[in-house]
Amino acid sequence: MKALDIFGYSFSAIKLRKLRAALTTLGVIIGIAAIVALLSITQGLQATITNQLNQGLSANTLIVTPSTGGFLSGGGGGGFGGGGGGGFGGAGSDSSGFKLYINYTSEIDALSPDIETSLAVISRGGYVQTERLNRSVTIYGVDFNKYAQVYSTTFVAANGTIPTNPAENDTVVGTRVNQPGQNGTIFFNPGDRINITWTNATVLPPVNETYTADVSGVLQRIGGFGIGGPSDTGVYIPLEKAQSFFGTDQCDMIIVTLKSSDNATISNVSKLITDHFSNQVSVISSTAVLSLLTSVFSTIQLFLGGIAAISLLVAGIGIMNIMIVSLIERTREIGILKALGMKSRTVLTIFLGESIIIGLMGAIIGIISGWVLANVTARILGSGVFGGGGGFRIVPLLTPEVLLGALAFGVGVSVIFALYPAWRASKLKPVEALRYE
Amino acid sequence: MSKNRPVVEAIDVKKTYMLGKVPVEALRGVNLRVEAGDFVSILGPSGSGKSTMLNLIGALDKPTSGTLLIDGVDISKLNDNQLANLRLKIGFVFQFFNLIPRLNARDNVELAMSIANKGKSDRRKRAIELLETVGLKDRVNHKPAELSGGQQQRVAIARALANNPKFLLLDEPTGNVDSKTANEVISLIKKLNAEDNVSIIMVTHDQHLAREARRTVQMFDGEISQVVVNGQ
Repeated sequence: MKALDIFGYSFSAIKLRKLRAALTTLGVIIGIAAIVALLSITQGLQATITNQLNQGLSANTLIVTPSTGGFLSGGGGGGFGGGGGGGFGGAGSDSSGFKLYINYTSEIDALSPDIETSLAVISRGGYVQTERLNRSVTIYGVDFNKYAQVYSTTFVAANGTIPTNPAENDTVVGTRVNQPGQNGTIFFNPGDRINITWTNATVLPPVNETYTADVSGVLQRIGGFGIGGPSDTGVYIPLEKAQSFFGTDQCDMIIVTLKSSDNATISNVSKLITDHFSNQVSVISSTAVLSLLTSVFSTIQLFLGGIAAISLLVAGIGIMNIMIVSLIERTREIGILKALGMKSRTVLTIFLGESIIIGLMGAIIGIISGWVLANVTARILGSGVFGGGGGFRIVPLLTPEVLLGALAFGVGVSVIFALYPAWRASKLKPVEALRYE
Repeated sequence: MSKNRPVVEAIDVKKTYMLGKVPVEALRGVNLRVEAGDFVSILGPSGSGKSTMLNLIGALDKPTSGTLLIDGVDISKLNDNQLANLRLKIGFVFQFFNLIPRLNARDNVELAMSIANKGKSDRRKRAIELLETVGLKDRVNHKPAELSGGQQQRVAIARALANNPKFLLLDEPTGNVDSKTANEVISLIKKLNAEDNVSIIMVTHDQHLAREARRTVQMFDGEISQVVVNGQ
């Protein structure tokens, strides 16, 4: 029997029981839609975060922090996802006693000819105050010139300038500092003065220390988490001012840029630095963070995909159930077909054909509804729950792998669960099948 | 020889069923020869073994012992696939019509041909011709439920003829139709035999019907008890 005729016959059997076929298909639709929705949202999230990470931390950049309380080591400090401007290391929170000093940059510079430059960053939580505004921010003490070199795409003034030779009281702020709502309500502009305050907890009782700074520039909008690099809620002051204002020669991290971004250079220099500081520092590269991110997201995808796959398995059992019922109902029909000369394997193909049709329809409708679901969900998430902080948006991503995988999985599950009923149908003896009432 | 090769030849055919643990001898050594162009009826009461003969001649089952040649092929030696291929050469007409309810008359006839791998356009043309032959030209698009018993039986005959079978095998062809329709069906069968030279084997318990054939093979208790050549 020709393939097209077999397919046509399968289809006529499905058409006869439309509601039953629709309900069976619905099981597949739900399973596939769940898989597609969850995976495309997760992949979209991963792409968003990766993209932002790349903005903040370019491939040829290393970040050196004390090995506890640092960037990714999970200590009590600012930590990785420090929100709009949490920054990296919590100052002095490392318990090992090891401290990074600003003048270590010259030691690092001398370690390898592959190192372009290095720069120290001091960061503290604090406040910016004007007559109308009192906003919590992160204060960064950096060398403006070097910082602008390293973050040439993000440490860029949209308004005013970033002074190349800053006066002591010059400051540059992120766009959400002078315009917190990003809605046109601007609290101050370059040329205005603001009060910068931090709470000094190294003395007891803690005291608020304040100075008045001149705003030189407002950064362009960066968006997102501000991982690694400049942030929309950051306030940038010259390094020397930070030293005197915070009363310290220590820094929270040292950013090292390399002349090359190939993996060998990155791992080589990383090792030189950790060895130089006797393993008391962590060296983070974007490559390392990316691979960590990738592995975290793989796990999340596996987990979510697994949950969705369970619903598809349930659908598969539904298919099997309905096929067995169908097989019993059609025993006599199978007898007739065999008496007319149909081969057993053709009977098998007819039944598998029915499951392929159901699987294919379910997968296609499932992919479409999953995609719609993902977009609706992303919009809801983007509008409120996540969006409050950094204007964070997920754009669901439907990769060809997910698309084809979902299609194959939907059809595959349908076929696998139809194998047994189809095999039983093909094994029916014509004499007995014809006698069946 | 080639012209008169028997379409069916049974030599000492025996068939034993297991009914639970009890063996039942349905056929106890049957010898039968049906030549091409012949019209033979197999007559017997229930339990005589005629249904078993029907299943064997229809290549739906194999004998326990003995030789059964269908179109010269010993069916004992065939596997499932080969049996299926052999069935394409047999025009089976069932007592209960056994049409596929969801397919219309034409598609039912076409189904037999699509199983035999015939192309779509050939199938359609021949299906219409056959339905015309059996007098159902204006019923081709009707589903079995929209046809009378006699019409359904004629669709079944058209389907049986679809693949140019070596012989028609009819199981109680008038068992489920009224006597008027039965006469129409039997006239059709006789016409096919007389005019188109279609070989016919008809299994029935109806003596009157059986006498319509050229020869009547009477079965009793798993054996052939008598062969009657019916007068013109």
